[in-house]
Amino acid sequence: MTLAETISSALGLEGAVGQFVGGFIGAAIVGTFILANAAVAGPWAKRKITAAFTDRIAVDKLGPLGIGIIIPDAVRLISKELIVPKGVDRPAWDIAPLIIASSAILGFAVIPMGQVGPVEFQLADPEVGLAFVFAVASIASVGLVMAGYASNNKYSFLGGLRAVAQNLAYEIPLILTGISVVIFAGSLQLSEIVATQQQSLVELGPVAIPAWFAIVNPFAFILFLAANMAEVGRNPFDIPEAPTEIVAGFQTEYSSVYFVLIYLGEFVHIFLGGAIIATIFLGGPAGPGPAWLGLLWFLVKIWGVFLLTQWARSALPRVRIDQLIEIGWKGMLVLAFANLFVTAVIVGVLAPL
Amino acid sequence: MSEWIAIGGLAIVAVTIPLSMMLVSWLLRPSVPEQGKRATYESGEVPTGSSYDIRFNIQYYMVALLFVVFDVETVFIFPWAVIFEDAVGNDAVGFISVFLPMAAFLGILVFGLVWAWRNGAVQWATSQQAERQRVE
Repeated sequence: MTLAETISSALGLEGAVGQFVGGFIGAAIVGTFILANAAVAGPWAKRKITAAFTDRIAVDKLGPLGIGIIIPDAVRLISKELIVPKGVDRPAWDIAPLIIASSAILGFAVIPMGQVGPVEFQLADPEVGLAFVFAVASIASVGLVMAGYASNNKYSFLGGLRAVAQNLAYEIPLILTGISVVIFAGSLQLSEIVATQQQSLVELGPVAIPAWFAIVNPFAFILFLAANMAEVGRNPFDIPEAPTEIVAGFQTEYSSVYFVLIYLGEFVHIFLGGAIIATIFLGGPAGPGPAWLGLLWFLVKIWGVFLLTQWARSALPRVRIDQLIEIGWKGMLVLAFANLFVTAVIVGVLAPL
Repeated sequence: MSEWIAIGGLAIVAVTIPLSMMLVSWLLRPSVPEQGKRATYESGEVPTGSSYDIRFNIQYYMVALLFVVFDVETVFIFPWAVIFEDAVGNDAVGFISVFLPMAAFLGILVFGLVWAWRNGAVQWATSQQAERQRVE
């Protein structure tokens, strides 16, 4: 049972009313959960992680380890003056941050996030789950282009163009690698993909290694991780923003709440990328211990991906735009095709045996 | 059906959250109009012209065209991937008749990619001036 159905049956509502009420309450819970993650990641975890990499202390005055900084920081950012530059193309300039923030949140609708007590923490489970999540995650590119074009700033414009070129180059390797998982699982339904990974691959004494697709096909996993870095625009592929080259790219002219929304969207997008990776390669909420620990394992996995992006941010140099296009079209697309062929042959030859 | 109602619910929540943040910000934030504050940022210089009349390279047309081709192709691969394992396991169908048509389809697309590659469509255009000024 999905979260929406659980809520409507717990409230004793049936039919269309139950579906609407359950859906909305479930959606509000999921939205709040994601925002809480982004709130911890943005003003606090990112600073702490970067500080640890560069041997500094960062925020440490409010609350344990400085985690109390989240509230004053949120108030500070939201109460800044909104400066509307000359000649911006409204309302496109106002809609762009909205698209960037909401498209990333919407992707979480179908992600199975494990169990909380007896309740499955997954809002909805449509049969086309994986296709839906890929489709929704790439809406953000539209927002980036709108932001870049509407800002009436040359740096923004360059950033917007770079964002398109980058997303076009990496979208296809990403989806093709995702499809190689679908060949194993035989379904696009995310709960089904997670269930397929529950079988044990080999038994090493008391320890059973699960058939997570990252273990079954590590090559696809690494390819997907790299393509995902480019898709969410993090180092070494953060060239749409590239602070040393084009100031801040598409977000140069955004201040106040719009700045917050663009940042929120980017953090949620990183988490969405992490959620996709966790779901299709790392067994979703699976892990040692009882099933009700599922949500905890899921959080460990998405925060692991977040930590990886922040590690890359501190440790890796940025590639140039021409290198990025070559890596995407000439390297990763070819590797993604090869991976798809090899997977199809392996599954096709092994399945009858 | 109820799944899509719940997803629609999250879509509304996902738009409401940013809108309410905008509303709160509108209530809280000051407005101090000043001379020169609204100039777009151009490294501290007075901005020259507008960004709307920038001309950019036609290569985007080729890359976008390629993208459309490959993206539509992924739509065709999805259903194939879903039924692949079942179809291979089915004695009436078999591996060859499932794999070969898709291999031919992908082969044509890879051939197109090679063509675009050799024509330089998937390469970032470099200006001759930038090439002359290279110092490495």
